[in-house]
Amino acid sequence: MDGFDMMDSGTDGPIVTIRKADSMHADFVLSNVDLSFANSIRRIILAEVPTLAIDLVEVIANSSVLPDELLSHRLGLIPLESSNIDDKLLYTRDCDCDGYCDRCSVVLTLVAKCTGDQNVTVYARDLAVAAGAQLGNPVLTDEAGKGSIICKLRKGQELNLKCIAKKGIAKEHAKWQPCAAVAFEYDPHNKLKHVDYWYETDAKAEWPKSANAGWEEPAQENEPFDYNAVPNKFYIDVETVGSLQPDEVLRQGIKYLQEKLATVIAGVNKSAGQGAATNTGGDVNGMDDGYGGARSPDMNDANGYRNFNDGYVTPYGGAGGGAGAQTPFGGYGGGGYSNGWP
Amino acid sequence: MADNETLPDAPEYDNEAAGDVDYDDDEPLDLTRENNAKIIMLGSATDDDSCASFQFENEDHTLGNALRWIIMKNPKVEFCGYSIPHPSEPKMNMRIQTYGDITAKDALIQGLADLRDLCDVVTDTFVAEKERFVTEKKQAVA
Repeated sequence: MDGFDMMDSGTDGPIVTIRKADSMHADFVLSNVDLSFANSIRRIILAEVPTLAIDLVEVIANSSVLPDELLSHRLGLIPLESSNIDDKLLYTRDCDCDGYCDRCSVVLTLVAKCTGDQNVTVYARDLAVAAGAQLGNPVLTDEAGKGSIICKLRKGQELNLKCIAKKGIAKEHAKWQPCAAVAFEYDPHNKLKHVDYWYETDAKAEWPKSANAGWEEPAQENEPFDYNAVPNKFYIDVETVGSLQPDEVLRQGIKYLQEKLATVIAGVNKSAGQGAATNTGGDVNGMDDGYGGARSPDMNDANGYRNFNDGYVTPYGGAGGGAGAQTPFGGYGGGGYSNGWP
Repeated sequence: MADNETLPDAPEYDNEAAGDVDYDDDEPLDLTRENNAKIIMLGSATDDDSCASFQFENEDHTLGNALRWIIMKNPKVEFCGYSIPHPSEPKMNMRIQTYGDITAKDALIQGLADLRDLCDVVTDTFVAEKERFVTEKKQAVA
């Protein structure tokens, strides 16, 4: 970095303290970063870490009481084991195949029929992953190991479904969320007055103390308000749905934040390379060398960076991350710009 | 920064030409529509490029606020702010004004690199802490 103090505190940079962790939770304190950065991590964990979820359902037989659409929706919401999905699966839109194939999807089948007088309950564990799949097993976290209930069948009713699970992100559909919740708190004593508590007579007496209150000193009596104080400690509790381990969720989240940055960096450099109407082209090229060897994910790909949004078919991304960008920066009065137009 | 008098006016938008494919050099262009650029420079830069506005495609507060903060951390930067002009358009605008030592674009590139480095540091810190936590837990069990 440029030698200026990145952290407001003047100390050594970010600190992480894990308070509790297991296969579903990671409760940690992140300090010495800015609110905006901590919030970026929260947002990216919630919406942009890819997982696997059932996306297409071919209904061969469904004589249950649930309509096909409802059944498909329920199947989509079942968490599927998705660790290291980036090494194992492509987005279908990035794949060469038509429809789906082994490189961009996992096929699960569900065959169930009720023949006896007793009703049959179909659980997530009854989903059978195609042989050879590296991931996609339904997540079973209950003690009996059954997973969530998909449907119940009466005598004579049957299900025969072929489910195609695909990689995706929660921005497109919530079924791809890796996390059920991301708790995020700072300033438990409200010293910064970012919260205006409603009260009848005394806010302190009427509102319960935050669970994180013990981690910070409460304000002293008659302590003057510190106008320069900024939030510095963030209490984050990542609670996954089981498809990814919480630490993988966090590492992937940061990786995707860096991927966003890499996409913009590539976009800026590409634009500059067109000889646009800026006088900074030379500087940019010079800086390029300084950052080319970055540790950012996918910066070392053959393509230089992975085009995260390219071919995205949802409203969130038709426009790819600078792929085929011809545009010079600042085309206004730039002269060369109109050449690129039909 | 140069005097305010030297700031060029934003180009006038010609409604008639907007629907026309045959663009003139001087006309403002909808840069995003044609070429899927990830980022474009808006036509409000000063002559020396110390101040400029950028428009990011498909970005929101996730990138915007953190980037704004880290660019403001640069002592050569006088001002950096961002906005999302309309919630149903996936666009994010960012304004950068420097004191003139560096161009706004350089400040942007610097900010992107700094934020990436910060991400690396946080990842390393987290992984180290996780390992410490796991070994500590194992020792407690043993």
